[in-house]
Amino acid sequence: MTEPRRRHVAPYLFLAPYLVFLLMFGVVPAVYAVGISFETPDAAFAGLENWAAVLTDARLLPSARNVVTYLGMWLPTMLLFVTGLSLLAHHHGGRISAASRFAWYLPGAVTGAAAALLWLFMLSPGISPFSPLLRLAGVSSGTDLLGGQGLPVVLTVMATMVTAGGWIVVVYAALNTVPGEILEAARVDGANGWQVTMRIKAPHIRPQLALMLISSFAYGTQIFVEPQVLRSAFTSQVSETWSLNQLAYFFATQRGNFGMAAALSLMLLGVGLLVAVFVIARTDLYATGSRKG
Amino acid sequence: MTSDSVPEPRADMTAGTGPPLRRRASAVIGATVMLVSAAAFVIPLLWLVLAPTHTRERLTAGASLTFGSVADLGRAWSNLMTFGDGLVLDWLANSIGYSVAAVILALLMAVPAGYALAMYDFPGRRAVLNATLVTMIIPQAALILPLYLEMVGLQLIDTVWSVVLPSAFFPFGVYLTYLYYNDNLPRSLIEAARMDGASEWRAFVSLGLPLGRPALGLTGFFCFVQAWNQYFLPFVMLADDSKYNLQLGLQTLISSTAAVNPSYGATILPIHQPEAALAGLVTVGPILVIFLVAQRYLRAGQLGGAVKG
Repeated sequence: MTEPRRRHVAPYLFLAPYLVFLLMFGVVPAVYAVGISFETPDAAFAGLENWAAVLTDARLLPSARNVVTYLGMWLPTMLLFVTGLSLLAHHHGGRISAASRFAWYLPGAVTGAAAALLWLFMLSPGISPFSPLLRLAGVSSGTDLLGGQGLPVVLTVMATMVTAGGWIVVVYAALNTVPGEILEAARVDGANGWQVTMRIKAPHIRPQLALMLISSFAYGTQIFVEPQVLRSAFTSQVSETWSLNQLAYFFATQRGNFGMAAALSLMLLGVGLLVAVFVIARTDLYATGSRKG
Repeated sequence: MTSDSVPEPRADMTAGTGPPLRRRASAVIGATVMLVSAAAFVIPLLWLVLAPTHTRERLTAGASLTFGSVADLGRAWSNLMTFGDGLVLDWLANSIGYSVAAVILALLMAVPAGYALAMYDFPGRRAVLNATLVTMIIPQAALILPLYLEMVGLQLIDTVWSVVLPSAFFPFGVYLTYLYYNDNLPRSLIEAARMDGASEWRAFVSLGLPLGRPALGLTGFFCFVQAWNQYFLPFVMLADDSKYNLQLGLQTLISSTAAVNPSYGATILPIHQPEAALAGLVTVGPILVIFLVAQRYLRAGQLGGAVKG
């Protein structure tokens, strides 16, 4: 084989193992799901039956409402915490800032079932180190907290603890890229710390905050583990179809209807895809323009 | 704490403007807000580390943020071992096995893929990048039920592979190595190696691999954390509880003992709050250690660069 010829083949060989996985675990399941969503449980063509059944299912609206309520609490909380703490840590600098950023980031290690377990304890008066605060809030047992509108609040606290620190690392790194000349010019012009923070730094981190909101939204819509684990301790307080993904799982396992499960998964996937396309269109994730060398 | 080992980025030069008194007040308020929030974030972790050293009685009496005794920690451990005859150890071994296997497979495919995307122009390059970004942003949970059906078709349900293979598919790692090579490995270097008669493979092995080591480390870190924390995937794929990983096992432990909800009286096992906390600690311990080791790399802003693009 001649040299240039080899150079044309090489990239495909380098890519081959990854492409196999991309196909097997990215593309094929999606295509498979589309097929099954149009089939009856006996593998006959069902048309839009499954899709209609999902959309008219009485459980869909409550599940969707739960997820939307949760997102409505969590996303603003993230925006407030991450923006506020990053700007504060960057403004003050020094050891306290470094130690705090480390402390904010550590709970990211506790996710999923472990996070749910830990937070069940944190929210049990008597055992929790936050007991005095819980009593102030009028919480006397875990049952109190998880009934009614308590669950989205608990999930918001958990998810913020787990993910805020990582995003603070990202936003802080972005703050370090504000050009020194601009800060210097602002100082010469007599801007105070607050003005520099609000007029120069806050606008500078907008892309990172947008990315945070969008990916948090995508992950939040898929919530499954946390309510599922909380449910295993408090069965009567947390519905088995609390979130949309739990509902899809319910269709598949309790009703044995994979067509409906696939249809609902695809609806959620559609939301995720929309968000993904939006991210790609809005941010320069390719970095092809800045190619060097 | 190790956080002092890395030089702090230059302190903000605008921090010291304004009248001295106001400046000091603002510094005190800022430090207070940071420390209080930092404490709120760390207290739950501290509790998790300390709780297994207490007896059940002391723990429920609120003796939470102190060290109990080594003897009580030992007793919590032997109590925990009564659950399914040491099932927790199986879960620990499974978690390690699944995660290490996923990381190895992910690196084997991500590194050459990222290298190819950065070093070559070829038809289909943009399509592969597009597909990578889309699958990277879509949460895996969206594809889990279809994946289940695919695994049924492949007859891999309830096998190790039904968990390891999907965990090894890690498009974020491909994107990360692609960005890294794009920024740090000049194409002219590869061209020079070709001039010297090196084959494409030789150029990859002797230039791409050694120069890409930081990207390898970062990809391995993220992939390990992702694989270790899998829950929905093994939940759907595995039926046999001796094949569970720790995350899934933890839920089994919670739902089949009185550890968390004392009104579940239907168990004779000595699994209560300290034992459940210990199981939680075993689950997050390795990730916590990895986080401690990785923090200086993250602080160096590599993550920031990766996400920012």
